[in-house]
Amino acid sequence: MTRFIVIRAAMLVAGLLVASILIFFTLRILPGDVALVIGGTQASPERIAAIRAQLGLDQPIVAQYLDWVGGLLRLDLGTSVVTGSSVSAQIAQKLAVTGPLALLSLLFGLVIALPLGFLSAVRRSRASGVAIAFGAQAAAAVPVVWAGLLLILLLSTALGLFPSQGFPLNGWADPWGALRSLILPALTIGIVEGAVLLRFVRSAVLSAQGQLHVTAAAARGLTRRQALLRHGLPNAGLSVVSVLGLQLAALIVGAVVVEQLFNLPGLGPMLVTDVGQRDLPKVQSVVFTITAIILVVGFLVDLVHRIVDPRLRAGTA
Amino acid sequence: MSEGNEPGAPAPGAGGSPAGGRPEFERKDGRGPRRGRGVGIVVAIVAIVAALAGGATWAILANASRSAGGPAPQPGGTAAPTGAAATTLTVGLSLEPTNLDIIGQSGVALEQILLDNVYQGLVSVDDDGTIVPSLADSWRVSDDGTSYTFQLHPEVQFHDGAPLSSADVVATYEMVKGDKAAVANPVFADVESITAPDDRTVVITLSHPDADFLWNLAGRAGVVLEKGAKNDRATTANGTGPFLLEAWNQGSSISLSRNEHYWGEAAKVSEVVFRYFGADSNAAANALADGDLDVLAPLDATLAPRFQGDPRFVTGTTGSTDVFTLAYNNAKAPFTDLRVREALSRAIDQNAFIAVLNGGGQQLGGPITEGEPGYENLNSINHYDPDSARQLLQEAGVSGLQLTLTIPNIYESFHIGDVLTTQLAAVGVKLTVNSVDFTTWLQDVYTNKDFDLSVVDHAEAHDFGNYANPGYYWSYDNAQVQSLYAQAMAATDPAKTDELLQQAARIVANDAPAKWLFNYTPLVARKASVSGFPSYGVNSRLNLGQVAVASE
Repeated sequence: MTRFIVIRAAMLVAGLLVASILIFFTLRILPGDVALVIGGTQASPERIAAIRAQLGLDQPIVAQYLDWVGGLLRLDLGTSVVTGSSVSAQIAQKLAVTGPLALLSLLFGLVIALPLGFLSAVRRSRASGVAIAFGAQAAAAVPVVWAGLLLILLLSTALGLFPSQGFPLNGWADPWGALRSLILPALTIGIVEGAVLLRFVRSAVLSAQGQLHVTAAAARGLTRRQALLRHGLPNAGLSVVSVLGLQLAALIVGAVVVEQLFNLPGLGPMLVTDVGQRDLPKVQSVVFTITAIILVVGFLVDLVHRIVDPRLRAGTA
Repeated sequence: MSEGNEPGAPAPGAGGSPAGGRPEFERKDGRGPRRGRGVGIVVAIVAIVAALAGGATWAILANASRSAGGPAPQPGGTAAPTGAAATTLTVGLSLEPTNLDIIGQSGVALEQILLDNVYQGLVSVDDDGTIVPSLADSWRVSDDGTSYTFQLHPEVQFHDGAPLSSADVVATYEMVKGDKAAVANPVFADVESITAPDDRTVVITLSHPDADFLWNLAGRAGVVLEKGAKNDRATTANGTGPFLLEAWNQGSSISLSRNEHYWGEAAKVSEVVFRYFGADSNAAANALADGDLDVLAPLDATLAPRFQGDPRFVTGTTGSTDVFTLAYNNAKAPFTDLRVREALSRAIDQNAFIAVLNGGGQQLGGPITEGEPGYENLNSINHYDPDSARQLLQEAGVSGLQLTLTIPNIYESFHIGDVLTTQLAAVGVKLTVNSVDFTTWLQDVYTNKDFDLSVVDHAEAHDFGNYANPGYYWSYDNAQVQSLYAQAMAATDPAKTDELLQQAARIVANDAPAKWLFNYTPLVARKASVSGFPSYGVNSRLNLGQVAVASE
């Protein structure tokens, strides 16, 4: 067990290191730099050079990389060269929108996936089950942006239930307004993510159905459905949880796209603006933070899985 | 079972019967692992949700504590001790400043909201373009045009309470003069000395006359900061103006509150909120229609009819020095041939752009706009004439010309690429539109000069000097223009400056180094209850000191 944790932790660290290298050097391929943006259309080459020196952009690229990673090791995400404020403070500000959005999407996704996935597995040979499975297949293939546009047309433009875009100016000080403006975007991600999850739930339940202990429970007098709910679901749940860990990345990427569509002041629009302005020190720290969250959650899920599942434990003992 | 179609569930629970073949139907034996599994699932879900929720809660708390220190959304919290009415003016704008450093950050977005309102210079400029007193009550220019003596207004204080003295002026200007990265650094290139003979007097000496010097001082270059102040200029401001910088919610809004200790006439509104909509002009217009905004600048011309018949709103165009400039790469063939440049300029019908803008633009035949020194109507030069354009191209011996237009994607709503493609096709020129982000434009066009045609909005006022600078990105090099410009700047008589600039501008117009597509005159819409809103240069300077909102 200890050996497993050590190996898995080493993989996590290696993953973070590779991510930092990829993020840093890929961003350096973009044409133009932030000194030009700060200088604008009236700046002389001398002024651009002066700004570049001031920002440390004239340093060798490897030195810039080491400087950045050194900061990360001290948990210092650095300062935006454009806005001059700390990156962690700006991430925190934007997470007040993106965090609740991702959570709400997860909630919607689970509310859709769990009951429908279960139903479609139980009724797999009936029309309703086939319809659900087919619908999920279709919904999972829908691009998030398109789903969002359809929802705006239906629930906002036609029915006027929710605002089509925007976030209250005073944010969560207006909790109901803030929640209302998150519902449509969360539903957009939730439907697509839910459709993907639904298929995992269905397959997990289907295989649980075939297992001996479920059959045995049924033989003891429980109905098939009771047996499945009580004895099959824990098994199925475990696999769904590990998929959830993987889906976290999709959830965050979905949030970034959907925020653009709904004009929400979250991480997504901030990243787009920052890339446009070549605020690379900020972009790389934000992207790295998101990557780190995904990798760490993956690590935790693996760990929990290992601890919980007796068969896996036995394998490495 | 048709598992083949399902995504493979990676968890072991999904795969067949347990390896040990343990008799799980025996309740007692089965309970242990089952319960363990159940607990584990709960732990896993809790772990993931907690990770997400923890982050979100932390963010919300961080945000809440931030806004607690900021302004209350209602103006009641900042009620004036003088008993002046507590009113909020909400102004919708498009371009948000990237940071608030008035010394180091270029661009009009921060000048637009900070000049006059938060920061002040020795002099300012009014809606007619006249230089007016600000921190200096009066000034005198020596006959040879090289020495400026300013008398400071008494009893001016900075937002932190410190009194203004001539030492602050000297310190600020010396700092800008010594900092190559400062935006206004070039303004001080010919400044020989900045001295303070006494507390209230500042003397600036130039090595030679500069006709634009006072005008420059009325802008960003003239801003006076407190000597020795240590505040972070990117996010805070310690100025002398009628408003204090209150809060900045990046990506959304900036708010100012009235300076209750202002040295001049106090502002008429107690709070100003600038809301930024970026390119989303629909959202901006909706906010105006919903009553969330008092003023919208600019209002997208295509959305204007909705407000024009409505008695609750007043709409109108505002003059500006913005010139949407189609620049030719003058150093590169075939643009080195005057006939090709003339042909392109004559192939373009400015009215097509003005039609797209619904009146939010006007024709411009030369490089200088109506409000600037040296303006004269040059619309007849290289006017729209497709027949003559075709003929000129034939004379120049170019046929089947294929050109690329590099244009920043921030101007998409103006449909410039489409209009130009159609118009140039009519004279046999095939245009490819390369839409890039602004930073790429700065790199490829502005810095590397790697382009055929380029369009950007040259918003800066008094920027004719770009045509007298052969190193500027369009590489226009005419010794006569350079000499006339130098003489105009060295003249001590404004009338002489005007005359010399006119001569230079006429030569430039005939040389056709660029086509001036239109002078942008943005529409501004305001509620009928708002008065005193500026009517000139609103996208580069919004003096809100005397704006009032009548109670409805």
